[in-house]
Amino acid sequence: MKLLSNVVDWLEVRLGINELVENYLTGYLLPRNINFWYSMGSILITIFAVQVITGALLLVYYLPEADKAFASVTDIMNRVPFGWLIRTCHAVGSSMMVLFLLFHLLSVLFMGSYKSPRELNWLTGFILFTLVQGFCLTGYLLPWSQLSFWATTVATNSVGAIPYVGQFLVEFLRGGKLVSPATLGRFYTLHIAVLPILLVSIVGAHFFFLERIGVSTPPFGTGESKNRWQGDSFRYEGHPGGIPFFPNYLLQDMTSIAIYFAFFFAMIFFFPAIFFPKDAFIQANPFLTPAHIKPEWYFLANYQTLKLFPNEFIGLSIQGAAMTFLALLPFIDRGKEKHPLKRPLFLACAVGGIILYIGLSIWGHYS
Amino acid sequence: MGNGNRRKFLIASIGGIATAAAAVLLYPVYNYLAPRREADNGAKVSFPESEVPPGGAKFFQFRGETGVIVRKREGELIALSAVCTHLGCIVQWQSDKQDFLCPCHAGRYTAEGKVISGPPPRALSRLPFAASNGTITVG
Repeated sequence: MKLLSNVVDWLEVRLGINELVENYLTGYLLPRNINFWYSMGSILITIFAVQVITGALLLVYYLPEADKAFASVTDIMNRVPFGWLIRTCHAVGSSMMVLFLLFHLLSVLFMGSYKSPRELNWLTGFILFTLVQGFCLTGYLLPWSQLSFWATTVATNSVGAIPYVGQFLVEFLRGGKLVSPATLGRFYTLHIAVLPILLVSIVGAHFFFLERIGVSTPPFGTGESKNRWQGDSFRYEGHPGGIPFFPNYLLQDMTSIAIYFAFFFAMIFFFPAIFFPKDAFIQANPFLTPAHIKPEWYFLANYQTLKLFPNEFIGLSIQGAAMTFLALLPFIDRGKEKHPLKRPLFLACAVGGIILYIGLSIWGHYS
Repeated sequence: MGNGNRRKFLIASIGGIATAAAAVLLYPVYNYLAPRREADNGAKVSFPESEVPPGGAKFFQFRGETGVIVRKREGELIALSAVCTHLGCIVQWQSDKQDFLCPCHAGRYTAEGKVISGPPPRALSRLPFAASNGTITVG
């Protein structure tokens, strides 16, 4: 302990760490009625860290060339010691990332934390959601299996519905008219370099906005659930008499992360087959489209929407409009009330939207 | 049990669990990254004798390293490791001088692998081989 206090003293006179600990840890106060939904962000950071680590490990043995990619992934799964574990963690982790992102998005929606003055937080969160979808799309191609190849063909084809520039965009995205080795090169670069840099930058901005304005107050368990922001000047939302982040809410974060890992490893060790249909184990064949190619679960609603509308452009536009509405929600919903049960119109739309999303996904799975 | 003792016990228990968890996580990662034993570790390498003319040499891969077989002008065959004992570069056979030269730091070896000059500290190690029925088998 003497060693530890010597190290702390050494750092204190050089960095003033006691002030940092006071400002960001022990003295950083959170609302007394905070709940476990506020730890979704920490879970997402953990999932991202696991993806980066397992992704970097996969890079050691993965070969990003069309004629070698599938064999290298098979080698990782069957011959490299614990390669099956690293690969499965990465594949399952990508689905977990999307799932917990949806939980995080829904909890922010229902607790009204997107409302003024937190529009920038919502916007950066929305951008992050889009980036994660980009990660999922680009990463899916890398194993170069029948599933990878044809799911990417279907996904990139939909861009062609945009008038005038659609076909050009499809060819630019693919690096050619069809999905080919050129597509693999582009998607690989996006997946391991461009998207990570963008994601880390936007996460930094997301944290900065959160830090700057302060943690929102949940609308539950207090008499007052209305947004008190006046909009006349910048005001940090502090929580005097609140709960310290360290150690109190950090304990909640760690509990949530531990529960997440229990769920994560249960999926990996007991239900890995959910994430690997049979076409995932057949090398890509550009001349043979398998029957019943479906996208991954998080894209099923988009896939089914495109199938419902005879005109692909209308199908794309409807989805674009829905996403734009979601992105601009803080500017559309200017009501002061944050409690979901006191916002009947919002609740109806949100529950309707969730049922629609789940319904379209199930329909997409069985269609 | 006083609060101080309870705290120490708790810290020790959590520390122990954290160490065990770290070990459980690091074990598969270490094994994943550790160099794999080549599947052909005990395998032999064979090729026709005609591939090694008098005064010539043939280089080959043998159990993860580079080997060389030399046929002296008199006909004698010698199998050696081609890895220079100085810093690991692959030596070159000089057919005009009938010796080995390491291009990295100009170490020189006889056809038998003994050091003639330069920085190599040891001779090139010998490899076991057999020649029969027109085939050389190393290993």
